[in-house]
Amino acid sequence: MVSLFLSAFLASSQTPTSFEVAFPEYMAKLKMVTIPDGKIVMDGKTTAIKGMSFSQTEVTWDVFDIWALRLDTSVEDQKKDPQSKGVDAVSRPSRPYGVMFTGFGHHGYPAMCMSSLNADMFCEWLSKRTGKKFRVPTVAEWQYACRAGLNSDLMAKDETAWTWENADDVSHKIGIKPANGFGIHDMLGNVAEWAKDSEGKPVVCGGSFKDKTALISSAKIDSFSPKWNDADPQIPKSKWWLANGQHVGLRIVCIQ
Amino acid sequence: MDISRRTLLTGAAALAVPTSSFAGVFQDRPTIKVGLIGCGGRGSGAIRDNLAAEEGAVVYAMADLFEDRVKGCLEGLKKDLPKRVNVGDRTFFGLDAYQKLLASGVDVVILATPPGFRPGHIRAVINAGKHLFTEKPVAVDGPGIRDVIESARLAKEKNLTIVAGTQRRADLAYMECMKRVHDGDIGDILSMNCYWNQGGLWMVPRKDGMTDLEHHVRNWLYYTYLSGDHIVEQHVHNLDVCNWAMRGHPVKAISMGGRQSRVDPAYGHIYDHFATEYEYEGGIKLMSYCRQIDGCAQNVSELIVGSKGRTNANTSIKGEKSWRWEGDRPNPYMLEHRRLYKSIKASEGYNEGVQVAESTLTAIMGRMSAYSGEEVTWEKALNSQVSLMPSNLTMDTPIPVPPVAIPGTTKGAY
Repeated sequence: MVSLFLSAFLASSQTPTSFEVAFPEYMAKLKMVTIPDGKIVMDGKTTAIKGMSFSQTEVTWDVFDIWALRLDTSVEDQKKDPQSKGVDAVSRPSRPYGVMFTGFGHHGYPAMCMSSLNADMFCEWLSKRTGKKFRVPTVAEWQYACRAGLNSDLMAKDETAWTWENADDVSHKIGIKPANGFGIHDMLGNVAEWAKDSEGKPVVCGGSFKDKTALISSAKIDSFSPKWNDADPQIPKSKWWLANGQHVGLRIVCIQ
Repeated sequence: MDISRRTLLTGAAALAVPTSSFAGVFQDRPTIKVGLIGCGGRGSGAIRDNLAAEEGAVVYAMADLFEDRVKGCLEGLKKDLPKRVNVGDRTFFGLDAYQKLLASGVDVVILATPPGFRPGHIRAVINAGKHLFTEKPVAVDGPGIRDVIESARLAKEKNLTIVAGTQRRADLAYMECMKRVHDGDIGDILSMNCYWNQGGLWMVPRKDGMTDLEHHVRNWLYYTYLSGDHIVEQHVHNLDVCNWAMRGHPVKAISMGGRQSRVDPAYGHIYDHFATEYEYEGGIKLMSYCRQIDGCAQNVSELIVGSKGRTNANTSIKGEKSWRWEGDRPNPYMLEHRRLYKSIKASEGYNEGVQVAESTLTAIMGRMSAYSGEEVTWEKALNSQVSLMPSNLTMDTPIPVPPVAIPGTTKGAY
């Protein structure tokens, strides 16, 4: 297990400002909040964290649908490029085979079941669209944001996180539980969130509604398992979607 | 892709069987020879699940209507699982390919062809004395269902195993939950809902030189004589769960449906939505919904409401005896093949033939009601004389596409 200490979170002079990525025509938005420079100690090694904008919530379907369902392209464009190969733009996810989202809320709820590739390509699309640089966080950034200058693992997790004990086997609307010290919601529980470890390997952080509260912490990291896509009957299985990945979601950072 | 047997075995204790020998069954043979009939997407998946379920199994022969399908599937298997392929020159294609495969020395057969062919293929497999894994559904009309029920009876006589691809029946969470339902944990069943509402599926554009049959089979979903319509080929899963809960089948159906969004002739003549009220013995109602329209709310699930609680039929019961599924849930697509081999090894004669035929007819009854607009009873559906498969089929037979059914007007729906 990774041991981790947050040593400082002092506001820095070059802190980026908070901002909103808004899609008014789809009544969708994503709020990015500032987190300051700081550092954390993982496995005895200190890592400096540069201040950045961190999405205040998990990315919701409201925003993710624009990307995944190509809501921002015309029917004519889609007919020209039915396989979503993205000849001139970022290639888009295939249509999910079958149904993965049964029983889960949609508007205002975290997007789920996306593969790591899907998460990365979403960031690429969002970057092109906004002219800013978005990506998934590193594990160090994610854990730094999760702890928020406090030992947030000491906060009452049943009050701040949707877990096995209180979530009733489903994800919940973003931002209902209290935010942490950086003003960020649902870092622990609800859906686990894609991040990149020190070798660039995709992992998910923070546990989900499927995990028991006692097992959830800022240090909880899960590596990809083929079981997350067991139920996809296609050969080969989808590279975009995880048929059993209802516990997997996405949070993004903006570096600029 | 390499299938890790070790991983797949984990947690499958409920279906754990010795993997040693087939003593008394295939004792003279070091391996089990599996024949795959239908080498498209589902067949390619089913054969992998089959090989994952039994380390003594090898692919021994392959058949499909189309040569390219056989070759594509075979190449994929050789690449992913080279040690499990012993096909030699036993690749067959054409309308009689299944007969050649059955004569090639296989022990076990997987049927993954379009459902319209299923009754005839099942009969041939059982007549040839082979154990069978059949994908769902098993027929598209009343005569087909009667044929399958007769084949299931014959299999029983011969102590042959039939396992069907209604994989919820092999899902450990569904199995545990259904046991609790049958033990009375939700009291008496009062009503049920089930859903398969999703977006559209793939379509292969017609190319120059394609005959009607080739075009239809490559787009089998969209032709009722091949698929039974999507209420039959897809929604049968959810209807099967409801029949499982009831330990029986509905006595009648009143359905409405139509073809509202997917109207291009490239999508054949099937509907894109159905809403069906089924009634079981005792007046218990099942509301069933299925839809294949892009951009709409999706839902694939079941809800069973009882006098003492309600359940989603797999992971939770809420009520007087609340319960939640905890723990590992191995891939049911693999477990259903493990069930097949468990039965074969123990000479159990495990036979899901009638069960899957009844669930298929449940779905067919819904389609008959939606197409005709009339109430359709179980007896009407079962004893229907309407056979959808064109007779004397050859590769070149012209096959006119029936008009889209209009409720209240269309005749011959059952």
